[in-house]
Amino acid sequence: MEYEKENSIVEMMQMQFPEAAFKVKKERRIEVRLPSARLYDFAVRMQKKWNFLHLSAISCVDWIDDGEFELVYHFWNYDEKVLVMAKIRIPREEEGDSHFETISNLWQPAKFFERDIHEMFGVYFDGSEDMERFILTDWNGPPPMRKDFITREFALNFYHYRDYEPQWLKDMMAAGEGNE
Amino acid sequence: MDEKMTQRSVWEKIAAKLSKRSLWMLHYCTGCGAIELPPTMTARFDMERFGINPMVTPRQADILLITGYLSVKTLKRVVLTYEQMQAPKYVVGFGSCTINGGMYWNSYATMKSLDRYIPVETYIAGCMPRPEAIIYSFNELIAKIDRGEANSWKDYYNNYDFYRENQEHTFEGPIETYNDIKADAALFRI
Amino acid sequence: MSKIDEVRDYELFIGPNHPGISGNFSFKMKLQGDKILSAKTDAGYLHRGFEKLMEERLFIQNIAIVCRICVPDPDPNENNYARAIEEIAGIEVPERAKWIRTLVLELSRLASYLFGIGGHVATTGLYAFSNWTIADRDRIMELFEELTGGRVYHIYQLPGGVRRDFPDGFERRVLEVMDYIESRLGDYDDLAINNALFIKRATGIGVITKEQAIKWGVTGPNLRACGVAADVRKDDPYEVYDKVDFEIPTRTEGDAYARTIVRRKEIEQSISIVRQIIDKIPAGPVWNKIPNPLKWKVPAGDAYVRTESSKGEYAYYMVSDGGRNPYRVHVRGASTTHGVHVLENLLAGSRIEDASQIMFSLDACPPEVDR
Repeated sequence: MEYEKENSIVEMMQMQFPEAAFKVKKERRIEVRLPSARLYDFAVRMQKKWNFLHLSAISCVDWIDDGEFELVYHFWNYDEKVLVMAKIRIPREEEGDSHFETISNLWQPAKFFERDIHEMFGVYFDGSEDMERFILTDWNGPPPMRKDFITREFALNFYHYRDYEPQWLKDMMAAGEGNE
Repeated sequence: MDEKMTQRSVWEKIAAKLSKRSLWMLHYCTGCGAIELPPTMTARFDMERFGINPMVTPRQADILLITGYLSVKTLKRVVLTYEQMQAPKYVVGFGSCTINGGMYWNSYATMKSLDRYIPVETYIAGCMPRPEAIIYSFNELIAKIDRGEANSWKDYYNNYDFYRENQEHTFEGPIETYNDIKADAALFRI
Repeated sequence: MSKIDEVRDYELFIGPNHPGISGNFSFKMKLQGDKILSAKTDAGYLHRGFEKLMEERLFIQNIAIVCRICVPDPDPNENNYARAIEEIAGIEVPERAKWIRTLVLELSRLASYLFGIGGHVATTGLYAFSNWTIADRDRIMELFEELTGGRVYHIYQLPGGVRRDFPDGFERRVLEVMDYIESRLGDYDDLAINNALFIKRATGIGVITKEQAIKWGVTGPNLRACGVAADVRKDDPYEVYDKVDFEIPTRTEGDAYARTIVRRKEIEQSISIVRQIIDKIPAGPVWNKIPNPLKWKVPAGDAYVRTESSKGEYAYYMVSDGGRNPYRVHVRGASTTHGVHVLENLLAGSRIEDASQIMFSLDACPPEVDR
């Protein structure tokens, strides 16, 4: 049978979390959608009972049309060799930070990813020891990875570019070709 | 002003001939171009035969090599480093990111045109330049020093307000080495 | 606090312009005399905003910038990007292209290992060794220049295959360079790896136990030096790694010397993989053409692809919403764990004269942390 190992893992997890939606995407990849209140229990069980000891990354996706942030947690199991992507959605605030709970007391690598998501997207992880700015220490603008921040406009307005007007470019633009 | 620049005394010409063969480069890898510096400095494309050695402190270095892009955070430290170097000093812009932003032209975090913040002597084109291109441009710099034309460091004292205004527009924070600038300018009577 | 403590406890800032740090990075340390009590890293000097740049360009335009995220070992980036698009869009890659991609990845891994162990040995003061490895690494750069046109950044792996086929006589030159590097390994061992002084300086520095390694999220050669035989090439195979024979060297001590020994032994394994590839590579096309790259849309979906770079586990999470630009690309560099909190954990409790050696032996690369 195809994907035997992945399907047996899904069955084991579905018994504990009946409200979650599981899907086997391809070999060694399982995707699960959870309600955001159940993530902490899921993470505890992953680490303590099901032996998924490696947190590979935490990613954040800004779905501006839905008004939500999606947080994706990637867990890897060294013995079974399977990756589980746990996806949750939290509401997106226009001004100020959205809030969610931290898992950095379970996994130390989560501290870096949560700090990164905080300064890039504006999601505050409650209970974390350290939410200081890390990479953008002199930045005064909005969180730059949000979809309403257009980096091209910002760069064109804020920085000085060198003037470069050679004759061939002037001829081209007079003929109506080229852009910018 | 032009006459003063072209007429050099005998002592200045001898000093140029001796100093052009012992330029020390600051060992500061500011951007991605720095990966081509170890091949240039070591045995294959040996740079030491021209007298150029890496040096770790800015107080004893002559050349500041800006290898590639500068994020705003690094730009603040580079300006501080530049002001700590003793005149005469030469800045070489390495790669196309110093010329007009290069690959990261629409990024919110990198500076676009280096000579608005510090005066630049020569540029090396490429992304990234080969070690042979680096050595070629160092030879051009040595020839320029010999002819007495490598004077862009004086521009920093003459146009200090212009540079300072651009620096403050891009990053905040006090830049403290103002005394070094005044002392250097008085020493060279600018 | 007594007067002695006031004089003895101090904070030190090791800043970005420092030859003892591998790149543009800084950390603040609290010291008591020579002993480090705690350290805090400060990254962000190399931040370019890659993930935002990639969202504002077409899929095909991103291939040119994606290799600049990791500077010493750029090919895993291109491989991850191409494989993520292939997984989302369901594009098939011809067989010959997979073998060529594996060859390019292994050559890049060799160049990065030579750079890495040269850097580590140089922090103990033996500069002649790093001169040798950087000069030998240049032969591999020449091979890359012949194949792809660029010494450091290749822009060679596209979604659907690779950009061009081998030039004439390329296989023979690759085998010559492999023979040359193999002949130098004996000299490397005599000079540095089996040198009693280097062994004395590097053992016992920055020890990571097996439980700590898994808890802190250590990956790559650093993890194999602690006794865990985990390698993404064997656990989550991609390209043709399931068709070539290679071993995974491990050590159990987990200190700086063990990490360098693991990298030195993996050089031998990489040379053997390159020879097997040249031997077994099939003929055929090298690219499945993308229809009209400037107007190409990738269907909606997401993918998480992982590669074993020379520094550890390198992964991309890509989300596409059916448009012409990627919707979100998240880059998980291999040094995000090594350069940040593994370094902080190891520095606390060690001495200041070993700080530089710890950072270089972990092979932490700041551009991957900052993106």
